[in-house]
Amino acid sequence: MAIRKCAREDPAFSRLLQVYEHREQTAQAWRSAGKKVVAKLGFDVPDEMVIAAGMLPVQVYADPDQSLEKTDTYLEFAFDPLVRHQFEKIVDGTYQTQADFLAISNSTDVVIRVFLYLREMRRQGLEQIPPVTFLDWLFTRHRLYQQRNELTVQMFWQQLEQWSGQPITEAALREAMHLCNENRQALRTMQALRRGETVRITGCEALVIIGAGFFMEKQEHTALVRQVTAAAQQWDPVSGVRVFLTGSAQEDTQLYQMIEELGAVVVGEDHDWGDRSFDRDCNPDYPVVRSLVDRYMLREFSAKKAFVSQRVDALLRQVADSNAQAVLFYNHIYEEAASWDYPSQAAALRNAGIPSASFAKMYYPVTANPELPDALKKFLQGEAICHG
Amino acid sequence: MAEHKNLSKARKRLNATAQASAYQKQWFQGLQARVAAGEDFCYLNADVPMEILRAMDIPFVVNQWWASICGAKRMTAKYFELLRQAGYRDDLCSYCATAFAESLDPDDHSFDAQGNPLGPWGGLPHPTLAITRLTCDCQGKIFELFAKNHGAAFYAMENTVPRKVPLNWWEMAPYDWESLYDTDRLDAAVEELKELIRFLEIKTGKMFDINALQTVMDNVNEQETWYGKIRDLIADSAPVPVTVVDTINAVMPAQWQRGTQWAAEHAKGMYEEIAELQARGDPAVPGERYRLMWLGRGLWHDFSFYQNFEEKYGAVFVWSMYLAMGADAYRRYHVEEDPLRALAARYIGMEDFLHMPPWNAQWFLHEAIHNRIDGVVYMVPENCMQAVEGSFFIKKTLEDAGIPVLLFKADPVDPRKWNRENMTALVESFLEERVIKK
Repeated sequence: MAIRKCAREDPAFSRLLQVYEHREQTAQAWRSAGKKVVAKLGFDVPDEMVIAAGMLPVQVYADPDQSLEKTDTYLEFAFDPLVRHQFEKIVDGTYQTQADFLAISNSTDVVIRVFLYLREMRRQGLEQIPPVTFLDWLFTRHRLYQQRNELTVQMFWQQLEQWSGQPITEAALREAMHLCNENRQALRTMQALRRGETVRITGCEALVIIGAGFFMEKQEHTALVRQVTAAAQQWDPVSGVRVFLTGSAQEDTQLYQMIEELGAVVVGEDHDWGDRSFDRDCNPDYPVVRSLVDRYMLREFSAKKAFVSQRVDALLRQVADSNAQAVLFYNHIYEEAASWDYPSQAAALRNAGIPSASFAKMYYPVTANPELPDALKKFLQGEAICHG
Repeated sequence: MAEHKNLSKARKRLNATAQASAYQKQWFQGLQARVAAGEDFCYLNADVPMEILRAMDIPFVVNQWWASICGAKRMTAKYFELLRQAGYRDDLCSYCATAFAESLDPDDHSFDAQGNPLGPWGGLPHPTLAITRLTCDCQGKIFELFAKNHGAAFYAMENTVPRKVPLNWWEMAPYDWESLYDTDRLDAAVEELKELIRFLEIKTGKMFDINALQTVMDNVNEQETWYGKIRDLIADSAPVPVTVVDTINAVMPAQWQRGTQWAAEHAKGMYEEIAELQARGDPAVPGERYRLMWLGRGLWHDFSFYQNFEEKYGAVFVWSMYLAMGADAYRRYHVEEDPLRALAARYIGMEDFLHMPPWNAQWFLHEAIHNRIDGVVYMVPENCMQAVEGSFFIKKTLEDAGIPVLLFKADPVDPRKWNRENMTALVESFLEERVIKK
């Protein structure tokens, strides 16, 4: 199933797939035109602010085929392998040529460590690393931390003004917030076709539609998402067990393809390359800084920065919203935080009558786990699985 | 793997070490009695500003200290099996998950047929409060689970990353702490302390008294000043009068009693005892030839490992962070001007000092030079993201200065992963090839 012919033949989807598969092209075109690009590591760098500064935000992503010579030098081994591969691309000079600046948010511990190491490497003059800044969000839902986050937004605002060489007006921020809200709303309309009574878009197709947006201009992306969504109303229905995926970010479609080739369909996920990326809008009625804090602090809980009870409730909520019939827990080796959520989440799912399977300590990339297809097959055929 | 029962017991020479251990046991019995009488009791992580609870006379146990007790009592293998049976992974966060695992033990407060307690020191009393800081992604999750199992109220404090990166924090920390940090970080931490106080007042019915906090802070300064004198005395002595086996075991329990008059007096007594040993020329290891630095957490389940290299090589572990952090990281003066701000300037820095390059690397180098270190043995925990601290930068900083470093992975509390023979061979090889031949 995966990416079907009907999708590939759709002009809008075809353009999204082209961007998804050639992620550097838009950034290269921007830089060739003398405009600036901000690479983002972590999923809590506000696109709205980068866009308001007249720059293109692009997501740092890993190259699973790349050797990790520099990473092995600088990073401890026990880091999420996905982040290790992202780090390699930062320190090998890739983003020195593809971006002007690097903005890192503290979306997970590993990324915080990466920032600290990069800062120190820059101080010591090691490797070619773009100028880097850090967004130190506080995610605990408390008034005091909300106030602190407003300061964090203001500091990033100043940093972007310095990088772009021009002031960022409140009007520009409001316009960018509107642009991003429209984009998120378009993606949520698309999302309804994954989780409705009739599924029209596969998980693989959804990953492409969502993920392309991390590497192109928002206006174009929004228009393409709307076109794909309109066309997909006529695409063949997708049948199979409806699976919700919780855990590690999936930067490519390999895992979804494996699941969907076994006759299931991924109807939702809680990682940042999927549903979570377009959850919650900026409230236009709030002052701009508060609106940005509201969006990035209060959207759906991440696996890394939430307590177990919050994660249990979040998973039950998301599974219900997506009409999923089964849940897959999938976590990379050394990506441990969600492991503490798992027993409570699995128990809650059992109580709700939702079968689940756990795949922990998984190697990166997906293909490095030769036993995975068989284990997935057994689960989808009804066997209980707890792997790793 | 070495059998635990075959591990020899570490030789400790200080009365202060024995006194600290005895006091802890006595204090713990008192704690059990207070909890049994219905008092609130808090379990907290080491980086929580415990001085607030001390000032409010709310009894507390520190997570890392309790994990060390469980490790020393060799309870962790049992506990991690309980974790596994409950569906959790048994190979994660061993330092922080020990107490949560213990909370799964139905025998924790029971006794065997001979009347001996099955839990360490009779088991951890049920806390009514559990407080941690969010210094890693797992910490809050584990503490919440722990609190739920005990029926305790859970409270989390956030953590911020410094933008200022002074290379000489240990020189600035005691007096110039306002300049050490970003002002907005300090401001936020003070507000966070006020919120914590409010939470504790509501939960316990006890009122916070700023004068009591000032007394606590003064006691801490006195205690840590003695640690500074001890650290300097050891650094200046060759051979040293005591090794890390004593300093870790004497300082760590007393550190978690910081703010009390007992802890300050204990530190003074410890200094006087060591000074006397030094004055009468009574070295810890008469054949001392090489001075080693231990980087990382204490090896709680096998302390005699540190003494393994004394007789054969004259290699002595003279330095660990436990004493040196006391010497450099805790003292804050100008307390009377704003005790809460001085406390904020203490607790927000711990993560910076220990786990962030270049703060940690530069301090380790300074200490290595001060203590005339010949080689560094650096244990990196294999399952703890909180303790990931830029090992590349630490190793590079020390080795660029000509100090060889042996870096290896191990677990401070889980003996299942410890192979004494392999580790001994590793250190011996390091000594022979990189320290002695240097």
